[in-house]
This record gives sequence, structure tokens and C-alpha cells, in this order.
Amino acid sequence: MNLNISAYIAFVFLMVFIIVYVGRYFYTNGRVFIISLLKGNVSLADSVNRLLLAGYYLLNIGYTFLKLKSWEKINTLEAWCSSLAVNIGTLILILAFMHYGNMLAIYYLSKSNPITHKLFQS
Amino acid sequence: MSNTYTVAAYFIYLPIALVLTWLVAKTLFQNGLIFMRDIFFGREEMARATTALFKSGFYLLNVGFALYILKIYDVLTGMQDTIEVLSTKIGGFAIYLGIMLFFNLYLFFRGKKASRQKRLEASNATAATPQS
Repeated sequence: MNLNISAYIAFVFLMVFIIVYVGRYFYTNGRVFIISLLKGNVSLADSVNRLLLAGYYLLNIGYTFLKLKSWEKINTLEAWCSSLAVNIGTLILILAFMHYGNMLAIYYLSKSNPITHKLFQS
Repeated sequence: MSNTYTVAAYFIYLPIALVLTWLVAKTLFQNGLIFMRDIFFGREEMARATTALFKSGFYLLNVGFALYILKIYDVLTGMQDTIEVLSTKIGGFAIYLGIMLFFNLYLFFRGKKASRQKRLEASNATAATPQS
């Protein structure tokens, strides 16, 4: 087994673990916000939340697998460490920016809706 | 073949960066919960959820950045090189974390100010209109 293949295996396992863990975390903590955006319609909010989670998994795990195609050639142990870390770092940064984008979207959506805005701020 | 100094530097850098991130996040969000309780006046569930979301965002951003800057481009030839490069990396990362900490604090204070403004306006509005 060469270094590239072991890097691929480590990368895919770590990334899928991180994505699933972070997704569950967002799913449980974002529920309150979706309920308040949909003015307390709990069943609709739950199904929207599940669909968002599914979309998030598909998008990010899909991107994880796409990344394997454009991996540099690894010859040494330090190149193994650094390329694995930089690739995982890039993907986590993408997750972070998506997360902040979502929080901003929730904030502006709640602002444009006077009823929910009052709910948020009061 | 593979450079042992570089590999050792990676294995020293990574735990220090992760523990530093964890410590900063812990202190920031333990105290941030008090701000959030103030912002979401009496809405405990909302305050907890917002703190959790900010916390996960903070972890993602900083752990991602720590991994992203891990690569050492210089060829390390000895102990001295390793120490110099490592201290530059860890110091730079610590400064970045400090800036992030102050940015988060700024957001907390802004939210606090905005919610106080809203509450004042709301209490003025109810005071101005006569109750029927």
C-alpha cells in the first residue's frame, strides 16, 4: 500500500466522521431557529431540518470524495502529514464558512420578517 | 528520504495548536453564555443554541486554520531550525487566536447593545400608547 492510498483512507474516514459529527450538532442546535423562523410550526420545521441535514451530508461528503482525484503525489512521511493536514484543514474551513453563511442567512431572514424578528430580539 | 525533524515538528505543533484552540473556546464560551442570556432575555433555549452554534463555528474556523497552515516549507536541518520554525508557527497561531477572541467579544457586545436598544424601544412604545 503506497502513501497516497493510506492518505486517502485516513482522509475519507476522518472527514466523514467530522462531517457527520458536526452535522448532528447543527441539526440539534439549529432546530430552535428554524421553528422560530417558521413561526412555531414544529412539524414543518422538523422536516425542513431533516432535509437540510440530508443536503449538507450529500454536499460535503460528495466534495470529500471529489478531492481525492486532485491529490498531489506523496513520496515522504512529512509530505503525507502535511498534505493530509492541509486538505482536512481546507475542508474544515469550507465547513466553517458555510456555517457562518447559514447563521447570517438565518439572521437576515429573521430581520426581514417582523414577527419572527420580534421573537428573536425580545 | 523523509525528514525526521519536520515530522517531529508536525507532531509537536498539532497538539499544541489544538489544545490552545480548546482552551480559548472553553473560556470564551463559558463566559459567552452570560452574554447570550442577556441578549435573548429570559429565553434560555435560544441562548444555549446560539452559544452552541457560535462555539462550533469557532472550533471549525480555528481548527481548520491550524491544519491549513501546518505545512513547513523550509528544510529543517537541526534542532535550532526546528525550534525557530515551531515558535514562529505557534506564536503566529496564538496571535490569530487572540484576534479571533476579540472579534467574538465584539460580536457579543454588539448583540448586547442591539438587544438593549430593542428593549428600550419596546418599553417606550408600550408606555407611549395608552392602554385600552
